[in-house]
Amino acid sequence: MIEVPEIDLAYPLTDGDIAVNNLESARRHSWSRFWRDPLRPGIAECIVEQEQLTAQYVGDLGALERLDALVRQLYRVDADEMRTALVHAQVASMGHRFAEARRFLAQAEAHGASQADVHRLLLSIDQACGTNLESVLEARRKMAAESERLEDLVPLGGLLADLREFDEADSVYRLALNVYEDVSPFAVAWVCFQLGALWGELVPEPQSERAARCYQKAIEYLPCYVKARVHLSEIYLHSGNATDAEALLVPAVSSGDPEVNWRLADVLAAMERPEEAEAQMQVARSGFENLLDQYLLAFADHGAEFYSGSGNDVGRAFELAMVNLANRPTLRAFEQAYEAAVAAGESGRAANIADAAKERWGAAQAFRLSKLAETHVDKSASEGATA
Amino acid sequence: MSDHVDGPRQIGEPATDLTDLFAFTSPDNPAHTVLAANVFPSAGVTAMFSNAVNHSIVVRRVTVSGTGDDAKFKPSAKEYRFSFRFDVLQHADGGSKPVQRGTCTCPDGQTLPFVVNDEKGASTADGVFRVFAGLRSDPFYLAWAPGVLKKLPNLLQHDNVLAIVVEFDTQRVLSPSEGSLFGVIAETTPLPGRASPIGVNPPRFDWVGRPEQTNMRLNNPGIEGTDDLRDLWNQQTPFAIADELKPVFHQKLVESLTNWDLRDGKADWSSGALHAAANVYLDDFLLFDVSKPTSDASFFEIEKSTLRGKPYATGGGRTVDANVVDMMITWMVNDDKEFMQGGATSATKPGMKTFPYEASPNTELQTVADSVDLAASPDQVWNLIGQFGGMWHPLIASVKLTGEGVGQLRTIETIDGKQIIERLQAMDNSQRLYRYTNVSGLGVVDYTGTFDLKPKGSGSSVEWGVQFLADNQATLVVRTIVATLMKTGFEALTKRFGALK
Repeated sequence: MIEVPEIDLAYPLTDGDIAVNNLESARRHSWSRFWRDPLRPGIAECIVEQEQLTAQYVGDLGALERLDALVRQLYRVDADEMRTALVHAQVASMGHRFAEARRFLAQAEAHGASQADVHRLLLSIDQACGTNLESVLEARRKMAAESERLEDLVPLGGLLADLREFDEADSVYRLALNVYEDVSPFAVAWVCFQLGALWGELVPEPQSERAARCYQKAIEYLPCYVKARVHLSEIYLHSGNATDAEALLVPAVSSGDPEVNWRLADVLAAMERPEEAEAQMQVARSGFENLLDQYLLAFADHGAEFYSGSGNDVGRAFELAMVNLANRPTLRAFEQAYEAAVAAGESGRAANIADAAKERWGAAQAFRLSKLAETHVDKSASEGATA
Repeated sequence: MSDHVDGPRQIGEPATDLTDLFAFTSPDNPAHTVLAANVFPSAGVTAMFSNAVNHSIVVRRVTVSGTGDDAKFKPSAKEYRFSFRFDVLQHADGGSKPVQRGTCTCPDGQTLPFVVNDEKGASTADGVFRVFAGLRSDPFYLAWAPGVLKKLPNLLQHDNVLAIVVEFDTQRVLSPSEGSLFGVIAETTPLPGRASPIGVNPPRFDWVGRPEQTNMRLNNPGIEGTDDLRDLWNQQTPFAIADELKPVFHQKLVESLTNWDLRDGKADWSSGALHAAANVYLDDFLLFDVSKPTSDASFFEIEKSTLRGKPYATGGGRTVDANVVDMMITWMVNDDKEFMQGGATSATKPGMKTFPYEASPNTELQTVADSVDLAASPDQVWNLIGQFGGMWHPLIASVKLTGEGVGQLRTIETIDGKQIIERLQAMDNSQRLYRYTNVSGLGVVDYTGTFDLKPKGSGSSVEWGVQFLADNQATLVVRTIVATLMKTGFEALTKRFGALK
């Protein structure tokens, strides 16, 4: 049995129901203020934060559409150019439209946006795209050391996990929990989720039990946390506990996130309820396609994962994985595209992807832990044998 | 703002963020004192209190220990503490709104359970204490851009806060014969946890004494590029600012007050008077004297008179309707020579003369907005839709106009036989914008619609926005009606002008 360190917070947190109730309430109020006076200082920025929280924790993907409307309205009312460009960059980044985000961030900077605001968003974009990671890491370490705040420690943990520095990432996440002295449950649930993903999905040999404990904590702090429910349900399903997996997913269906329907379809199939499973799968498929139609870049990786799995369309999965790879060539994106190419029978393109991955990531420590490194070893070995 | 979002830490959990503190004699019963504290700036209509926070209002007896440039108010050690704690939400069957309950622990140890948002509040059996907690209209108003002192409309118009109010029998609780001058603060602190071993006070999230200590004085928006001391201040113990930090805060306050004094280009304050005022502000508690009357004008009179070396004449304190921002700006900028009125003369709603004194919450206006991009010039499109009596919408059978210009009425007959009457509120042909309100026919109140046409690329973009409150029918029904009107109208415009590529 793996020993899982307890999560020991400084103070009790606001109950998740209250926190979500207040977020939703404040979000609606902010929109009402915005429509009364779109030029009011700070209101658009406040809405961006609230919609990000709503999308991240409540799984309300309508947030993306609402934020696009926010940006359109700022342009309509001729809001301050710097402010509009900065909000536009944030919204584009949230939708994974990174090139657009960079363009508007440069525009915001040219119109006098604060260096701190520009730098912070640029770091997030670089990290999401796997660009300039050495300097991003250096900057993240510096920010975390200076502030010792959760909001700076968690992105550092995320980057370390991307770089396959799993133990250090774990330590940084735990430090983030240790130094947290607020009572909002959102940030804490986020860290627990990150720890769950770290030990359940990112490490070479996943530790399901450890990951499950982290996801359970995330849900304990924030019962509506859709993504935590989805990931925990996968662990339950793989361990043969379909009943608990179903109980986790059913309350999350109303979020509208098609990933819930997809995972629920898998659970129902495992429970030998094929008609219900098929109904959920259809909802998932149309849900993903709707999202991809509107926000291709934001959901390309999720869509690829869906179609690689029980979405059962390897061609579509490969197509989406390539879209994602072109948008943000992270090591994870290369791995996903490679696997999708192999599954789609595109062996030549799979080899090209592996070569491109080596060219971009081969010098990084993380690459040695990647399955793509093994493909090169295999290839070298087979070439050697042929020779 | 008074203390609204007064430090980076408060951005995490808005329900810990104290906005204002009030202390006054009950207008309903002069034998009673009322204390009230508000949290959660810009709370939405369903906002609830955090169950992980202790909300306290703390009173200490105070003596005047110096006057003039040596003005000093010395608090005693004994405190009267009202502590409010809240439960998790209780969900009733049938999808009705969740209920939150709370408990107030009074200075004499009595505990008083109550239900959040119950306007009647709850009273102790002996009738000494009465408490309320719930959503109210934000009584604070700020109608200046404080950095440049430009008049604005109230920045907190239509906002709500979560209020805790306690009313008590002054004689039985505060024993004014032992001294009638008091200082009061409010604070939010975490509940006990790992980081609060026995005997060690937990750090506080926020506290407030006089209004604007943090957002206007310690962090004077007219001075750029200085350190933000607000979080450091919020972590201080009320009534006991750390001695080693007092010089830092004092210096900051002197710099800030000097800046305020010079905002009108004139120095009205002597150096000694500025330092004395900074010293008084350093003892940050709201002063009130229960033996003298409080009114909307008595705020800060105790401090001002004492600084001027005179006996004070009022009960000081702060009423719900006191115009504290303009009073403070006037004093800081010109030493009360000429009143500086901001861009608003009252909050969204005036306070009430009876319990719970803070006005009922503002209702959230519903918004439906949509836009369409058309392949036609703005002038072409405006020629059609810019006529208040224009007949372009496919769901409209006829329009009859009454009167002319602003105030003009249009009576619309819809194709399914309904009648809607609307009033023109504003027309700006140069900006291609008009605004109208609904008079009847839609089951709404406070209904305002706006048509706004802007050039876009080689064509134009029409925005149609509506804000309303449903009246005697479900909000969803009205939203659906309005959304259908917009969708059908935009489809007709697209068919006529073509969609902008």
